[in-house]
Amino acid sequence: MKPTAQWISLGLAAFFGAVMLVAFLIFPGFFPPMSPNWSAQHVADFYAHHATLIRTSMVIFNLCGLMLVPFFMVIVYQMKRMATPTQVLAYCYLSAAVSGFTLFAIADLMWLIAAFRPMRDPQLVMLLNDFAWIIFTAPVGAIVAQNICLAIAVRLDARPVPVFPKWVAPFSLLIAAAMVPACCGAIVHNGPLAWNGLVSFWLRIIAYGVYFAVMFVVLMKAIRREAAETA
Amino acid sequence: MSVAAPPIAASEDMPEADKRDLWFCWWVLPFFYSFFGLIFVLLTHVMPPPSPHKTDEQITAFFHAHGTTIQIGFAILMVVIGGSGILNGFVAYEMKRMSVTPVFAYTYIATLAVGAIPGCLMCAFSFLVASFRPDRDPHIVAMLYDVALLTFVGSLGCFAAQYLTLGIAILLDKNEIFPKWFAYVSFWNVITELLAAPVFVFKKGPFSWNGAISFWEGTVIFVIYLNCFILLLRKAVQDQRAGEVVQD
Amino acid sequence: MAAETAMSPSARRLPGDVNMWVFVLGDMVFFGAYFVIFMYYRTRQQDMFLLSQRHLSLASGVVNTLFLLASSWFVARAVQAVRDDMHERALRLVAAGGGFGVAFVALKIHEWYALAHHGFKLSTNDFFMFYFALTAIHVFHVLLGMFVLGFVGRELRRADLRRAWVVEAGATYWHMVDLIWVVLFAILYVMR
Repeated sequence: MKPTAQWISLGLAAFFGAVMLVAFLIFPGFFPPMSPNWSAQHVADFYAHHATLIRTSMVIFNLCGLMLVPFFMVIVYQMKRMATPTQVLAYCYLSAAVSGFTLFAIADLMWLIAAFRPMRDPQLVMLLNDFAWIIFTAPVGAIVAQNICLAIAVRLDARPVPVFPKWVAPFSLLIAAAMVPACCGAIVHNGPLAWNGLVSFWLRIIAYGVYFAVMFVVLMKAIRREAAETA
Repeated sequence: MSVAAPPIAASEDMPEADKRDLWFCWWVLPFFYSFFGLIFVLLTHVMPPPSPHKTDEQITAFFHAHGTTIQIGFAILMVVIGGSGILNGFVAYEMKRMSVTPVFAYTYIATLAVGAIPGCLMCAFSFLVASFRPDRDPHIVAMLYDVALLTFVGSLGCFAAQYLTLGIAILLDKNEIFPKWFAYVSFWNVITELLAAPVFVFKKGPFSWNGAISFWEGTVIFVIYLNCFILLLRKAVQDQRAGEVVQD
Repeated sequence: MAAETAMSPSARRLPGDVNMWVFVLGDMVFFGAYFVIFMYYRTRQQDMFLLSQRHLSLASGVVNTLFLLASSWFVARAVQAVRDDMHERALRLVAAGGGFGVAFVALKIHEWYALAHHGFKLSTNDFFMFYFALTAIHVFHVLLGMFVLGFVGRELRRADLRRAWVVEAGATYWHMVDLIWVVLFAILYVMR
């Protein structure tokens, strides 16, 4: 089987990943991330003042977020190639990835709905804003489960030349560990664990970015090796 | 047509199969549901559900009284919910061992990957948002309360579809991965999902979201089902022999 | 189809199949619980329940009971016919049983429609809440029974199948549906 589809998936991920990085940089709510301590009026004013940029960046998130799905499905496919006892972990990874992407799509819609009529009752704008930030920040379970499955699969891969190098196992566990504390973003109003804090926001986003970049290179090598093996 | 796996050969002298990944998945089950019980019963007071027959002020008071445990419980859920993905994959794998084409295995993953969001996480988000600022307008807090409990008890279709297709798959299967009676236990849950439909109408009585029929009877049946399922999955993993061909 | 498994020896003792009995007995326990809950609410507001009961059509309840009893009788005869290896006859009897099932559902829908036309609905009062919910869940069982009888019919048409225990299991289920209706009829329409 030619690896064309896998290369296209990586290409899609690289292109749309770059577009999403731009959207991330222009979203006014991320630099600095909006504080959970703002009053309802402050939140509503923020949406009113920055409506255009919020809509632009979130529409981009909306369009491009799910374009990364093929990238994760390449990981699923490569997990199925591993000489693990069974292929169960690949299905687990697939199932968790679906839920994770759904949540991203919902969070993004909440921001867009809040920006749609910033003049509505500030209490309601703040409600939508709370939903957006909490759904964006807190549910880290999907990616944590994905990375645990990936780590175990890599660890159990009995091929003489493993599909993914063995260090991917501790690496993905480390990434998972970096994301776990973000679940507190749904509770805390201040400090590093708040949704705008160093741990819940910056550490989580950077960990995700590093994971994406590293897995990109790992996948490139795995696809090349697969092509060489089957040639 | 010929993709169905051959029936399991029952020879005793095969070496013990390597099942480390399957055992990992199985152990997620007791841990996941222990956390699930701890979170939903003890910490967040979603099970058994508080009454739908409350004024806005009483609902706000509920969040003032239980805000801290709700937040602790659902913050833990945000991480633990990942386990549901692992369980979906695990059950789907066992369903692929059946002599049935894997359409129902894929259906299982799909229905529950969808179901986790309205059926479980929407409730968590609404309670988290309500507890995040319990001083919001009481009308809004009361709406979040309804969103949480109606989505939690009233997400009928995702789970009914999953119970139905799991049961059909078990009845059709000739590899005896699960015993046939368990198919009927699965069908019981379809019926309880139907009887949870009136929760969208009633604010008290047996068909309200905390009612004797819509909540309690359904929950009792679900707990019976779940305990059987955990034990049967353990047996399914134990009984798998080395060299068994599982359809791709 | 060569992999057709023989039935396990333990399944021979009961008519049909022991797994179906798990479902039937479990289902009857659950319906038993619904009836207990119904009685609990009924004793607390007996006058209202009796008053509401008058709006139900006893005639259509009786006709529906006759429909299901006739249907059950045909299906029971079908089981006997299968045991005597008269598969053509069994198929006709199952079809007759299914026909009465369809008639039951049609009459039930008409009854709901007539009640709704007079303004009675699920939320009218506790009596109609139970009436609509319990009859609806029962009709769901009848519709499921149509699939079961259809499956039995397929079994009878194909010479390579015709397993007696499948027909018996289907009949077991169908008799349960009938039995539950008789109890429902008694407590909803008749009990004073």
